[in-house]
Amino acid sequence: MLAIEVSKLRKVYAGGIEAVKGIDFEVAPGEVFGLLGPNGAGKSTTIGMLTTTVAPTSGTARLAGFDVGKEPLRARSVSSVVFQDPVVDRALTGRRHLELHARLWRAGAGAIGGLVEALGLAELIDRPVGSYSGGERRRLEIARALVSQPRVLFLDEPTVGLDPRIRHELLDVIAGLRARSETTLLLTTHYLDEAEQLCDRIAIMHAGRIVALDTPGALLAGLGRELLELRVPGDVSAAALALRTRGIAGDDAFAVGSTLTVPLHDRAGAEAIAAVGDLGLAAMSIGTREPTLDDVYLRLTGGRLAEAA
Amino acid sequence: MTALAPTATLARRRFQLTARTPRELFVPLLTPIMFALVIAPALKAALHTDAAYESFVAIGTVGLLIPLNTMFAGLGAIVDRESGAQRELLAAPVPRALIVLGNLTVAVAVTALQLTTLIAVARLRGIHFHASTTGVLWFVGTALLFTIGMYGAAETLASRVPRQEEYIARVPAIAILPWFLAGALFPITALTSGLTWIAKFLPLTHGLALLRYGLNGDATGLHSIWKLSDPTAMAGLSLAVVAVFAALLTAVSIRAFARSALR
Repeated sequence: MLAIEVSKLRKVYAGGIEAVKGIDFEVAPGEVFGLLGPNGAGKSTTIGMLTTTVAPTSGTARLAGFDVGKEPLRARSVSSVVFQDPVVDRALTGRRHLELHARLWRAGAGAIGGLVEALGLAELIDRPVGSYSGGERRRLEIARALVSQPRVLFLDEPTVGLDPRIRHELLDVIAGLRARSETTLLLTTHYLDEAEQLCDRIAIMHAGRIVALDTPGALLAGLGRELLELRVPGDVSAAALALRTRGIAGDDAFAVGSTLTVPLHDRAGAEAIAAVGDLGLAAMSIGTREPTLDDVYLRLTGGRLAEAA
Repeated sequence: MTALAPTATLARRRFQLTARTPRELFVPLLTPIMFALVIAPALKAALHTDAAYESFVAIGTVGLLIPLNTMFAGLGAIVDRESGAQRELLAAPVPRALIVLGNLTVAVAVTALQLTTLIAVARLRGIHFHASTTGVLWFVGTALLFTIGMYGAAETLASRVPRQEEYIARVPAIAILPWFLAGALFPITALTSGLTWIAKFLPLTHGLALLRYGLNGDATGLHSIWKLSDPTAMAGLSLAVVAVFAALLTAVSIRAFARSALR
């Protein structure tokens, strides 16, 4: 049985804003699946529909076989969420949070001790959560979500707002979840490196649609092994057209501002640079590099992810 | 599994939060105690009324204590939503109505504690009540139902306003304004005929009349509303009004909470 099945899922908010435009995807048990996209792409609305806090306009979604619309309690019983913003009672202790989750999910408190140790919370657990740092609080929220041993764990932008050191510590924690459980993870992020590091597969969302869905390797492979990147003064479109006419660029070349990026596929980088020189194209800078998921996103959406986020 | 266990869990959480917020316990007590212990004796002296008036006002302050306390409790629901763990509760595999019922349980418990305190302090101050066992039951039943209804109003408002500031701005209209019209400080027959007619439709008027009937055996307030000769029948009718108020506002509050939780 699939952990997550989403079919033609759509959400139109009051006022006619169509946040999610009929998306489809499936996630296998134990898989780490990333929803990648900038703010406004529809990621949080999708998570909201899967966690039953947003009512779908149409389409279906199932968690471990339970329809989130028709069997919301069962769907919630097999899932947990770590929210983007802190969702804690600051006056209560960390232990109280874990116990509360265990009771509401009818999970028993047996797992609490192990999770407290595993997530490095032993020194903090009996302190009010209001005294925790951002990273400590996020580790507590992850521990809380795991108390019920969910079959599906949603992590909504888990590292947003954390400083770089804590962010990397937390990424290690999340990576460690794969090794210690069969839990399926659905992770939303607008950090490309996070998605690449953690996810088995990635769906790139843009303007309410999934514009690409594959493994990070396959998404990168679509751009070949090397990219030519040049900054040109004046009309970038004209430069792109000239490169296409000479067979240096294909239809997958893309431009952002004055920077033109050309997937080279089988062509050698030095050969491409020489061809640009032969064209007499004035370039402020020119070079080659390996593609990243940022390039995948740019090619698919025409916007730079880090800027849009 | 019954709804009892998750409701108890949710109520326990709410109680722990309330216990760590002393303002929720003590602030609502200040004004009613001031009325019962300072203003009522002062009015008695200034207006040359008898001791029964102190008792009249002491019970009238219950009609202030319950709305103030429940409105403070409703504030906790907004704090939960804005900076608390409400979303974790919404993701839990329990019916969302139980979140409201858990909060209500604590609001009732805290109100009971405060009512007990108010009555005890009034007794210590020398104010006398003349309650029979049956009368105490009328008093407790009325206070319970009115608290449930007022908490429904508070939770409904909390679900419908986006911020604490807007909630607080509406509290006087809901918690205090009816108190001036409902016969808390004087019988409703002392009002103009138009206002008397309006007062008869306020659940608080029925509640106060019942509280006085229960705690003092005084059916005057009930008679001002119903004009009947049988006190028990009038009390039954007023209790029905308060019960309908409680049931209606609880249903509305659960619906408002569910709607606000689901975008």
